Amino acid sequence: MCQIDLQIMAIHRLSFRLRQTITHVRSLHSSGCGRLQEAVATESEPEPFSVFRAQENDPAHQSQKHVGQYYTVPPAHIPSLFPHGLPRRYQQQVKTFNEACVMVRQPALEVISYLKKTDFSKPAVRYLFYGLKGSGKTMSLCHTVHFCYAQEWLVLHIPDAHLWVKNCKELLPSSYNASRFDQPLQATEWLRNFKITNEHFLSKLKTSQRYVWTKREFTEEGRPLGELVDQGISRVKSSSDVVGAVMKELRLQSGQPEADFRLAVAVDGVNALWGKSTIKKEDKSPVDPEELTLVCNLRKLIKNDWHGGVIITTLSQTGSLYTPKSAYLPQELLGEKGFDSMDPFVPVSVPNYSEKEFESCYLYYIDRHWLQHPQSQTEDGKKELIFLSNRNPSMLERVCAFL
Amino acid sequence: MAAHTSKAFLSLGRLNVSGFGLHRSVNRIRYATLLSTNSPSGNKGLPDRGSRGAFARKPRRDAGEPRTEKMAVDQDWTAVYPAAVPFRPSSVPLPVRMGYPVKGGVPPEKKGNLELIKIPNFLHLTPGAIKKHCEALKSFCTEWPSALDTDAKCDQHFPIKVESREYLSASPSVRNPSARIVHLKVKLSSLNLDDHARKKMVKLVGERYCKDTDILTIKTDSCPLRQQNYDYAMYLLTVLYHESWKTEAWEAEKTAADMEEYIWEDSPSQKNILDTLVRMKVAGEGEELREELLRRKEVQEYKDSVTRLKNEGESESAMLQYREAVKKILNL
Repeated sequence: MCQIDLQIMAIHRLSFRLRQTITHVRSLHSSGCGRLQEAVATESEPEPFSVFRAQENDPAHQSQKHVGQYYTVPPAHIPSLFPHGLPRRYQQQVKTFNEACVMVRQPALEVISYLKKTDFSKPAVRYLFYGLKGSGKTMSLCHTVHFCYAQEWLVLHIPDAHLWVKNCKELLPSSYNASRFDQPLQATEWLRNFKITNEHFLSKLKTSQRYVWTKREFTEEGRPLGELVDQGISRVKSSSDVVGAVMKELRLQSGQPEADFRLAVAVDGVNALWGKSTIKKEDKSPVDPEELTLVCNLRKLIKNDWHGGVIITTLSQTGSLYTPKSAYLPQELLGEKGFDSMDPFVPVSVPNYSEKEFESCYLYYIDRHWLQHPQSQTEDGKKELIFLSNRNPSMLERVCAFL
Repeated sequence: MAAHTSKAFLSLGRLNVSGFGLHRSVNRIRYATLLSTNSPSGNKGLPDRGSRGAFARKPRRDAGEPRTEKMAVDQDWTAVYPAAVPFRPSSVPLPVRMGYPVKGGVPPEKKGNLELIKIPNFLHLTPGAIKKHCEALKSFCTEWPSALDTDAKCDQHFPIKVESREYLSASPSVRNPSARIVHLKVKLSSLNLDDHARKKMVKLVGERYCKDTDILTIKTDSCPLRQQNYDYAMYLLTVLYHESWKTEAWEAEKTAADMEEYIWEDSPSQKNILDTLVRMKVAGEGEELREELLRRKEVQEYKDSVTRLKNEGESESAMLQYREAVKKILNL
């Protein structure tokens, strides 16, 4: 209910604002909006909020004709679904604009269409978003994750795998496997966020075996998974092993025929798993990512030997270590080992904004009164923006931040 | 002093004249007339020097107009400069200037310009002169075989090309140590090598092989004489050829990292795709079904795309091809 109220208020606000800016915007946007039926030179007043906004806020019902338009993520979903998943600048934008508007773009739509058709008895298919820096890979991943969440799937979202291979303040030798290392801080943080996202699943699912943490602590078989997660959050020392146990449980159980949930594994910056790490052991020798428990378990999860779910990943050069800035293609960032492990996967290219998408973004900023500079609303100003940002989403956002 | 200098002029003039056989008589006459006109004035100008006697100044001749004024435009230049001679400003009809410019002015003119005389000139090697040389040498040359009229035929009959350089310089010694270097160039396609031999040869020679032009270049300079270097280069080629045909026992330990190009068979990619297909229960278990899976069209396409990605490096089009192949296999 409150959502509908919010929408209505949004409509009122928008129509008021639009009437003010209608003379500017009319000739520009009628070609820019996603409404294919509208002819280019119409002078008719467009409907209040469907200029660059899609009517459809449910990712499951978005289709090709919504490409280029913004849809709003329902505010109730944001804190539970994205406690840690959104890019930092986008989080600031959400706070500023008081709404989370995501642009519907072709790569995400493509993957969502595949997800809709997935056959859950077959092994999990892996999708990889790749593209230039700032072209919208993480946002496409978040869009897809929102779809999974709306479809009531269990979302296992690792916001940035690079965080697990660098800047580790505490490194403990693993109790489970002597050659590996634990990262308690990262593990607990992740478990906390995982719990927020999947609250309702954790009480339904049960463990399938007995886990012994220390001499006196153990988790019996058949206990709800929530208890396992709580164990990890409270007992920081064994949190990495808890993460491994959770992953194993989910992997095994999603494939069972009587499982009533689907598992969506979303990893951002998956190339961190096979790259180098900057963590050093006490004798200053570098740690191989393989020697980290978290990384090891995640690699097992990404292999496609389980079924009943999907694996969606992105590449990221931004946080990666020892890779050149110009690298963006999968093989460059994944390396030989990474490519062989991910193979066969479906690579999805995320390009810069197309003309239509750029128009849409520009209109959205104008509508939100983000572009305050008087010249930014002229044709010349728009051309300048195109030139400065080369239609790269993140560049455009940074440039507009000054205006 | 004057007498000395005039004598010197006279002698110089005589020497020059002897070099220029044709104009001898003319010059002599000219110098002779100059001498006759100058002598009275010279004597008149120095009456008080008569006491010196032997050192009485000889009359100085005026220089006449330079020869360049009298040169015809279509003259035979090879006759003016038939051999290598220092620059003579009065014989070269070009308004050449050389040297550091005078302040606010231009480089000094050619008359009396030591800079032009110091440098070597090639006025004796004009195209016309070269043509005459060639004509003279032609009678000593053998004719180019008429059957070898195209480059392709030359490559076919004479695949090995040996290159060495001669050095000429105006110095006391005719030897130049750089003349001993020999380059031997041969195309590997013209050698009889099978697949293994070719790969081994490329690995053995390393940097000396150019992949784009398929030419192996052996440069030898370790021996002091060109003949020795040439023999050494031929010996190296022979040894390389025979060694690359042999197969050693340790060559069986060749790993995937040593391979020159990516081979899909027995690679992790093949294992992955077969495992995936088996798990998808496309076909049942069993060895013979693996063969059947491999023969499928989608798997062949997938194999092509992966091989292309790994061998040619990455590009958008290669990625797209890979994507299509994976989508087909996974039935998306």
